[in-house]
Amino acid sequence: MLFTVNDSSLTSDSLDSLLRIAPSGAPILLYEDGVFSAMEGTRDSQKVIDALKDHPIYALDADLEARGLKRLIKGIKIISYDGFVELVEKNDMVPWL
Amino acid sequence: MEKVIVLLRKAPYGSIYTAEAFRTIMGIAVFEMDICVVFVDDGVYSLVKDQNPEKLEMKPLGDGFPMLKEFNVNRFVVHDESLSERGLVPEDLVMEVEMANSSQVSEIIKDYGRVLPF
Repeated sequence: MLFTVNDSSLTSDSLDSLLRIAPSGAPILLYEDGVFSAMEGTRDSQKVIDALKDHPIYALDADLEARGLKRLIKGIKIISYDGFVELVEKNDMVPWL
Repeated sequence: MEKVIVLLRKAPYGSIYTAEAFRTIMGIAVFEMDICVVFVDDGVYSLVKDQNPEKLEMKPLGDGFPMLKEFNVNRFVVHDESLSERGLVPEDLVMEVEMANSSQVSEIIKDYGRVLPF
């Protein structure tokens, strides 16, 4: 299962909630305001770094570029819309709204 | 002169709030008001440099804020804690701003008395 997050973790509990519940190994995709969690040096970076031990984490390039985000946590995979589609083809998608 | 704060708390692109705040500032600037734009929480992301929403087929929002000075909007305040907890520093922003801690933001809001929230 592919879990997706589109809220900023700095102002929403979506990511926290997902990280408590997502089965180990399940891929997580950050898109829209979810991509802010991919940045290093934020209040929530350590949570994401810890989560990378259990989950592959992806961030959508279009949303990173739109927001001017460059300093990303190492290990997060940046993907394009095509990569997003491939992930959805391989996994049932669970939007963590 | 009438004083008003335009308060931005939402991130750009994920919602319409930043764009609407910008339109509102442009709209009220013609009335020669004393406008103070305050960025708190995810609102600070509005000012990050090098925004490029081309793939989202949207217009960049950050670069518009420095241009507001041409409309006599001169005071831009950023909440320092909101910025630092997002891993950002003043050099990451599109313009020089006035950094303010929580109690300073609180004082500014009290001083202006009127807030348009976005």
